[in-house]
Amino acid sequence: MKYAYFPGCKIPHHLPEYGASVEAVCKALDIELVPLEFNCCGWPVRHENELASIFSAVRNFAVAEKAGLPIFTPCKCCFGNLKYAQSRMAEDEKLSGQVESLLVQDGLALPKSMDVFHMLTILDEQVGAEILYRRTANPLEGVKVACHYGCHALRPGNVTGFDDPMAPTVFERIMQAIGAEPVDWDLRLECCGYPLRGRDDTISEALMRKKLEDAASVGADVMATACTYCQLQFDKERDGLPYSDPLRKAPPAVLVSQLIGIALGLEANALGLERNCIPWHGPGF
Amino acid sequence: MIFFDIGLTLALTICVIGIVYRVARWNGEWTSRKPQLSSGFLLWIGRAVKSLILDVVLLARSGRTSFLRWLAHSLVFFGFMGLLLFHAMDETVTATFFPFYESTLDPWQFLRNLFGAMTLVGLVLMVYRRVHSTKLRLLTHFQDWAALLILGCIILSGFFLEASKIMSPAVFDRMTDEYFVPGEVGDLTALKAYWAHEYGVVFSVEYPMDEETLELGASLDEDSCVDCHANTATAFVSRPLATVLTPVAFALNTSRADQVFWYFHVIFCFIALAALPFGKFFHPVSTPINLVVRQGRRDDLEGFQPSAVCRSVGMDACTRCGECSLHCSVAPAFTVLGNQNILPSEKLASLKQFQTGELISQAGLTAFSEGSRICTECLRCTDICPAGINLQDLWIASKARITKLAPSPNDLLRNKTATQRARVFDDLCKSSSILPAVTGLADDSASYWACVQCTTCTSVCPVVAVCEDPSRDLDLLPQQIMNLLRMGLKEETLGARMVWSCTTCYKCQEHCPQNIRVADVLYELRNTVAARVRDGGASCEGNGESL
Repeated sequence: MKYAYFPGCKIPHHLPEYGASVEAVCKALDIELVPLEFNCCGWPVRHENELASIFSAVRNFAVAEKAGLPIFTPCKCCFGNLKYAQSRMAEDEKLSGQVESLLVQDGLALPKSMDVFHMLTILDEQVGAEILYRRTANPLEGVKVACHYGCHALRPGNVTGFDDPMAPTVFERIMQAIGAEPVDWDLRLECCGYPLRGRDDTISEALMRKKLEDAASVGADVMATACTYCQLQFDKERDGLPYSDPLRKAPPAVLVSQLIGIALGLEANALGLERNCIPWHGPGF
Repeated sequence: MIFFDIGLTLALTICVIGIVYRVARWNGEWTSRKPQLSSGFLLWIGRAVKSLILDVVLLARSGRTSFLRWLAHSLVFFGFMGLLLFHAMDETVTATFFPFYESTLDPWQFLRNLFGAMTLVGLVLMVYRRVHSTKLRLLTHFQDWAALLILGCIILSGFFLEASKIMSPAVFDRMTDEYFVPGEVGDLTALKAYWAHEYGVVFSVEYPMDEETLELGASLDEDSCVDCHANTATAFVSRPLATVLTPVAFALNTSRADQVFWYFHVIFCFIALAALPFGKFFHPVSTPINLVVRQGRRDDLEGFQPSAVCRSVGMDACTRCGECSLHCSVAPAFTVLGNQNILPSEKLASLKQFQTGELISQAGLTAFSEGSRICTECLRCTDICPAGINLQDLWIASKARITKLAPSPNDLLRNKTATQRARVFDDLCKSSSILPAVTGLADDSASYWACVQCTTCTSVCPVVAVCEDPSRDLDLLPQQIMNLLRMGLKEETLGARMVWSCTTCYKCQEHCPQNIRVADVLYELRNTVAARVRDGGASCEGNGESL
């Protein structure tokens, strides 16, 4: 299994523990990640200009195709925008022509195939629950996990094709494979609120609060995230709350790659667990 | 020599005053804590020395970018430093270490040519890179060309100066008048013949080139000249240049080209010296300082907040080499929008002006603000910067302040009262030169034809759900926005808080029973305003200020 690794823009500086743990887990599961010089996925600039966003996204596909590799990303927002660009290119000939001429200026060609996979899909379909289960040295028995799906991978379902947008199961399957116990919670498909950081912090925080309270109310021990933005919201941004805030006691956000890494018996150091702002003291870890 | 002394004094004065002025400005207005070193002082010194050797002398950080770039820079750096120390400052440096130093002896004569040739090759490689790469060509400014041109002129005029001296009978005569005492009548002729034959002097008359005369010339040369003159053949650039110039030697010699080239050479050196404190020319001073202070770290030391001085040194250390912009992850946005402030090397130039209060035009501020906003803080520019500048820190530290002066569409909106928000953006330029390349959904009433106002979009919206009073906090609800658009009332929707507080979670779109692309439309409305702000910064006075 060989993929072009697309970490996105936030991992290198803002969330290096995600990058470290993804690389460690992939290495342990024999998934080869090839680093290429990608540019931004285009999601952040989509608020400013769609053409800039689509061109950014398609340029990455062109870079990946040149290397002959499909894209692997651990970020749901990156995944979502790359998929969105793919669908827009297919539905709009004029746009596709504009993008093509921009690519040519850059010495690149319009990519024929635009393959992008989110890490969860790779773990579920390429590695599979059975292998995950067999490789698990340290099953997360008794750990109640609230799986946090992430909007841009799920929706619009006809564009992303990630899982059933109304009742997805891929995340839970993976958690079960490593021995954890996924919990059912009402708000598992809702937005984390991070896209509103710096735009409308009040609503952003209200969304975060509501979700964390919901996850806490069903007795979850951790909130599992599989998206850079979601983790930033539930860990780094939450850490900005006053120490007395009860929300700090809500389930800590732990990256899916950190949970799998623990289950596989990897070193805590390689998983960047000590960098999480809201620490998780799981049983026996 | 009056010319030389006056020129040098003038150039040095400008240089020193300029440097003092520039260094004095290394204390801009930044909000940050005082720097504190958590690790030991000795450890810090150790790392600084390591950085001095690796990054400053061996240009290790440049080496990480591309081999050609490193080679060009190394050639110019070592070549020019060699010339500066052992040639320009020979009386203070070379003569101190070598008491019998003469500039016309080897290895100095040879080394001068070697250093000059290295510098010249390096400069040619730099020009080649900047002409050859389309992207780099776009990032090349007047200052880059000026620096290359001045250095090139110094080296070329130096070679021409030496060549014209090699071939000049006037220079030869001056030397023999002063230092040569002919014993017999034919001695001077023999010496001239020998020098014409061996050292490349081009006399206006032919001297006998028979073996006997040359032998006599050789022995006279041995007695009187070799103590101070190596064979000019070791000047492996200047001597062939003199040979090439032989056909025009008469004209050059009679017009005393050696003196003309001396003036050129000295004037170019003075220009370079005087230009040192200005713009990019300052980087030979500021870049090594920055590298040593930051020690090539991309982050900051634990508990070490960059101080105002560190940041200012960092900004001055930029050579505008463009390496960061070549690797910038939002460069595709620049390709589409054409705003140079999106690229880090260009944005840094604006930031410098912004810091010193020189960036005052609203258009400039708007463009800088947009560039700031589009940056994703991916760390790549900081990682790649050959000058070791902590660009990431500069971007993050300046973002909040620029947003106040040139607000984003989102901030523009949030500064308004509820009544002002109704049509807040309609005084901004509607005829955008850069069309907001959007789906065109919002302007097409057919997009909403099927909408039955069932309110599903609103009822599933998580943003609506967390608002105590949605119509107060959001102005319009998603289904109301769809309805206004259907009626062609787009202007009334642009300032609605709902448009700007949408999390883009796509629940509305996913759940719409009529397949209306609600979230895509909201994105498009933001695009429309962003395009107007972009243009409005240049040509509209209102900037979204009116009712």
